[in-house]
Amino acid sequence: MSYQFRNITVLIVESNKAMFDITKQVLIAFGVNQVYSAYGYEEGFETFCRLNPDLVIIDWLEEPHNGLELTKRIRTDEKSTNPFCPVVLMTGFSQKKRVLQARDSGITEFLVKPYTARALYQKIEQLVERPRHFVKSENYFGPDRRRKREEEYKGPDRRTTEQPVARPVTQVSMSTALQKAKDIKRKHEQGGTPDDIKMEDG
Amino acid sequence: MAEQQGKGGAQNFMDQKKVRNAELLIPPNQLKAKIGSGGIDETVLVKAQELLENNTIDFKPIALMLVDVLHEAIADAKSGATVGEKAIEGMLYPAMQLKAQGGMFHYPLISEIANILVNFLETVVFVDKDMLDIVVAHKMSINAVLGSQIKGDGGKVGRELRDALLDACSRFYKTRKNS
Repeated sequence: MSYQFRNITVLIVESNKAMFDITKQVLIAFGVNQVYSAYGYEEGFETFCRLNPDLVIIDWLEEPHNGLELTKRIRTDEKSTNPFCPVVLMTGFSQKKRVLQARDSGITEFLVKPYTARALYQKIEQLVERPRHFVKSENYFGPDRRRKREEEYKGPDRRTTEQPVARPVTQVSMSTALQKAKDIKRKHEQGGTPDDIKMEDG
Repeated sequence: MAEQQGKGGAQNFMDQKKVRNAELLIPPNQLKAKIGSGGIDETVLVKAQELLENNTIDFKPIALMLVDVLHEAIADAKSGATVGEKAIEGMLYPAMQLKAQGGMFHYPLISEIANILVNFLETVVFVDKDMLDIVVAHKMSINAVLGSQIKGDGGKVGRELRDALLDACSRFYKTRKNS
């Protein structure tokens, strides 16, 4: 038995038709047969509310209202039909600050363009097999921004049961730090890893 | 001293605990309910990748339009119609689209040049003549690739072009660091 993609509806919010066409082709190859398009922020949100898709793929989109704002609106607007809907942001940006911006807007997955069919599939597989919990706080509503959640851990939650203890801070001089850095570099050049060097305090 | 730090740290921790008021929700996994289990066959992925690679979309008119947008953004920055972060954002968006789409539509060299430009624009903090000269050099390179219809990596010329642009960016960073 394999994934039954024919059962889902996907909305692609793009800035141009060529990108929509090519992503639609890939999704159809996966087996999705209901792929809808919308162009830009306003049309994107209107189509989202009308179709209530199972998955939304959003481009970064042009200012003044970009794909991140559309994601926030899907998550928080009272007219939104499904604030929990998985959102994959597909963009040419790949810098860390952009990934963090996107994460803070409430996206579920981030995919860098140009992308491969396998990369797109892996993002969808993540949504299916490892869905994120949602966090609701004063200034954020969206998927849990911590990537790894220790589902298996059954022990006590130290942060809620123990009094915090201040960890002693060891002062290290600049010359010591420099020497350690040189040691790491030398070890690295000799084929070892930085983990091989023991960082002793003092 | 250490004890004082410890008490202070504990107090900070308690204060932080007071303001953090987050609720964890577990939404129903609708995708899983509809799609089921089992993944997809490797042959499906191969076929989908072939579709991507063999697409017949004509990127040239799209790229020319994006280069036009970039050209206008440069002109606005030169004239002072846009300044600072707004001017950088104006150039960044078409550059990012050229990077994203060039790679999808058989122009990987354009994608690479645009990627260098995106990284440059993400790093610079203000707009001036030297900075704009580098953006113009990227725009001209992209125009040249489009004019010559270089699909693929451009071979030796492509490598030289990339190296020259990276070198220009690197020299810019060095002068800024020293000034």
